[in-house]
Amino acid sequence: MMLRTLIRQELLIHLMSARFFAAVVITLLLVVANTFVLIGVHEERLADYSQKEAVNREKVASTATYSILRLKVQRPPNPLSLFSAGLETRFGSEIDIAFDSVPALSNPIVDVRPEEEQWAFGSVPSLSSPGAPLGINNPYLYLFSQIDLVFIFQVVLSLLSLLFAYDAIAGDWETGTLRLVLSHPVGRGSVLLAKYIAAMVCLLLPVLMSLLLALIQCSFARSLQFSTDDFLRIGGIVLTTIVYLSVFYLIGLLVSTITRRAATSLMLCMFLWVILVLVYPNWSRFALNSMGDMRAEKRSADRQIAQIREEADRERDRFLANSTLKGEPPIFSGSEGLSTLFSGAGYFFLGDFPRVNLELKDAADPLALHFRRYYAFAAPLQIRSAEKVGFVGQQLVARTSLRQAQVDERLMKFSPASLYTFATAAWAGTDLDSMVDYIRAAQAYRRTLINTFHEREAFASLQWFAPNQGDVDWSILPRFDFERAEIGINAKRALPELFLLLCLNIILFMATVLIFIKVEV
Amino acid sequence: MIWHIVTRELLDHLTSLRFGLTTFILVALMVTNAVVHLRTHPERVRKYSEKVNASQTELKSRTQLYTLLQKGPGKLYKRPSSLAFIADGGDALLPDESVSGGFWRLYGLAYIWSMGVPRLNMEAIGNLRPTSMVVDWVFIVTYLLSFIPLLFTFDALSGERERGTLRLCLANSISRPALLVGKFLGSLITVLIAFYCAVLFNLAIISTESWTQLGGADWGRLVFIVLIASCYAGLFVAIGLTVSAMTRESRLSLVILLLIWVTVVVFMPSTLGTLSTKWMSPVQTHHQFQTAKDTAFDQIRSDFVNKWETLRERRQSAETPQREVAGVDPSELEIQREFVSKDMEIRERLSRQHLSVQSAQVLHARWINRCSPAAIVQYALESMAGTGFNRHLQFLEHCRLHIRLFRNFIVEMDRSDPESLHVIGVPKGMSKKPVLPEAIPIFEDKITFQDTLSPAVVDMLLLVLLLGVFLSGAFLVFLRSEV
Repeated sequence: MMLRTLIRQELLIHLMSARFFAAVVITLLLVVANTFVLIGVHEERLADYSQKEAVNREKVASTATYSILRLKVQRPPNPLSLFSAGLETRFGSEIDIAFDSVPALSNPIVDVRPEEEQWAFGSVPSLSSPGAPLGINNPYLYLFSQIDLVFIFQVVLSLLSLLFAYDAIAGDWETGTLRLVLSHPVGRGSVLLAKYIAAMVCLLLPVLMSLLLALIQCSFARSLQFSTDDFLRIGGIVLTTIVYLSVFYLIGLLVSTITRRAATSLMLCMFLWVILVLVYPNWSRFALNSMGDMRAEKRSADRQIAQIREEADRERDRFLANSTLKGEPPIFSGSEGLSTLFSGAGYFFLGDFPRVNLELKDAADPLALHFRRYYAFAAPLQIRSAEKVGFVGQQLVARTSLRQAQVDERLMKFSPASLYTFATAAWAGTDLDSMVDYIRAAQAYRRTLINTFHEREAFASLQWFAPNQGDVDWSILPRFDFERAEIGINAKRALPELFLLLCLNIILFMATVLIFIKVEV
Repeated sequence: MIWHIVTRELLDHLTSLRFGLTTFILVALMVTNAVVHLRTHPERVRKYSEKVNASQTELKSRTQLYTLLQKGPGKLYKRPSSLAFIADGGDALLPDESVSGGFWRLYGLAYIWSMGVPRLNMEAIGNLRPTSMVVDWVFIVTYLLSFIPLLFTFDALSGERERGTLRLCLANSISRPALLVGKFLGSLITVLIAFYCAVLFNLAIISTESWTQLGGADWGRLVFIVLIASCYAGLFVAIGLTVSAMTRESRLSLVILLLIWVTVVVFMPSTLGTLSTKWMSPVQTHHQFQTAKDTAFDQIRSDFVNKWETLRERRQSAETPQREVAGVDPSELEIQREFVSKDMEIRERLSRQHLSVQSAQVLHARWINRCSPAAIVQYALESMAGTGFNRHLQFLEHCRLHIRLFRNFIVEMDRSDPESLHVIGVPKGMSKKPVLPEAIPIFEDKITFQDTLSPAVVDMLLLVLLLGVFLSGAFLVFLRSEV
């Protein structure tokens, strides 16, 4: 009974206060303005996505042979990036799918190769990694950072919760009302609880109001459609927001119980806020570089890849030596030997493996038969060696770029603000794990593509290398559909951070209660 | 009398908790900044000089005038700024080298080097690491030197009014302006003491290392940078005093100030830039740019083929063989020259247009961003430190100047050879004399003090203007307010 009175009183004080009003107005303004910007960005990304899809489709349709097929797949823009951008708007979306290269998160080997080699004509890519991110036409605009809705809550509302909390105890103590309240038959714990509940209700109001406003704005934009699961994910984001704000409120409350003067408590709160929200997340990545130089590792992976290539080359040479055709490798040493077989100019890559795209004069030529045999042998060999290269590359990625990102994240997690960022990104499906999911999907897609080739016996066919021997039926290509992870998986990924935030809550609350009980009024 | 107030304020502030915390944070950040700079800068300089050396050795190995023209001046690299620790300026993203703008070999001819559109290092933003800002001086100044003054001033007038000391104070023979100036100077000096202390730590660490020795001009730039930062801190002291004079309650004044701070410093520089581009005409996409280049090239090529064919026909129809110079037909050479040079010119023009539209958009967005004083300071510091977007534009300009110089050099060399046919761009028409490696002009990317100061002047003036506006605002509000 007494508790309810206390809560009602605290609520009234907060709700009537100018600080609450000002904070709500600013939050709403910022959310509305940013949603407007973000919807525009999302629309641009969608337009870019469909344009690139069309270009890719056209490219595939105009590809004449199987062997030079360079398929590109894309990750469709995630509408929840509005709430938490995470890696979504920065990480590349388009990735090459080819039978002779494996998709990977990144291609760290590029760093250790000399520049001329990277762009060398006909060099075979060892790993295909995502290209530029979707959206912005003018890449210089990346100089301006973008913010998502979660960032507004992270900054403004955490500040507000500290402003609610800093004088909760210290202020009452100064004005003497604390003594008055405690003279009633009410436990000290319930006083704290009442203050906590009232403040959380007040903090929840701007969150819900601004989210509603944002959703209304989204519903006007036809490009944004949220599914039921998306709404549940947004619910998860709201839940995380509450837990996060509660951490800051409790920090403020703890400071307020420790200090005797509201002014001191305020200063401590403000500096804690600056450190936790502003300074530490940036400082930790900037100052702590625990990974050191990874060039040696990259070089050794590069050597391993070169070895795999050499092995494949040797195997190919063995095959050619045993083949009915004479010569060292007879077909690929130059274009002279081909003039009898082919007419017309086309691709002729002299890389590790030749990729021929020449017009055949006579399909019945015994040479043509030889070519078919050669490719029936060589293409699976290329696939095998590409898979080996892919394995080495992925291990390298796991040890370098991926690990670096994980170490960075782990370091940043000492700040509740970063915990909040990562948890919401996990809910929205824009975190690191989701990007890994995407690469896995691309890899799986490549395997289906190869299986389709196998089924159609594409490697042994004339269409593998000769563009004038019947059109390739590209309708056989499997569709690439990247499904975002299910909501259960999102929740599972957000759980560790959420759990840490909850633990912080409990620890802070316990500490506050213990100190408050012992404190002299 | 003013000095009396100033010293009282100073004593008040210097013994307070907030001064201790401020000094701690500023010093910690500045020391981190210096240590990280010492760790990363030598590597940057080493890479730069390695690349420059490689490019110059390659350039000097070319002795044929035609090869020099065709391959161009090689790669031109942007010199890393010795004041990179002041402002990162997105230098990881911005291109640090010029690139060639095309590649073809047709009819025994080859493309001539032209300056293309420099590639941005998308790896800088497209990597897997979580987003974070670089803790450079810009970060420290824009965020902390605005936040801290607010903490010192929010209760300067409203707090005294609450306690009643303001009335007491004004009951003495102190004029209101004097009180306000005293408060202003007291708070500003306190903040600056902490800031200068941190700056001294930072510079002391940085100048210990011989790698990062700062020259005389650098120290001059540093003086300006510190002045800009002080002016920015003063601006926020003035804002704090204005709001504090307006409100009766110090709590309310703090909330208003914090919300102003969040909006102006944290959100405006990010949102406004993106928001403003929404109403700009869309720029050419990379795809469109490539297509435009391809169509232009096809056009030139078909022109060339037509002319070539008509020349052949005319020659076949004419019974008498044309006058030939050393087995080469001058009109033939002329057509070839036209083809090659037109291709180069058009490629270069299209690239320049593409770039200029992009930069115009960025410059426009930066102007809109200047609504926020944090953005003004950021741009001013970037310009003074020789990083960021202005520096990027300067670098491109230097490249263009050098290319003009380089081409003039080739024309001069060719002219000095009497045996040459003086048809620039065609192997047969150019001087065959080997070029002395020492004579080839070398690109040196140097920025003068003038280069850094002139783009920053506008920002500095804006900042001073804002300071004036808010100081007089504080006066007006305080003079008319009831005590």
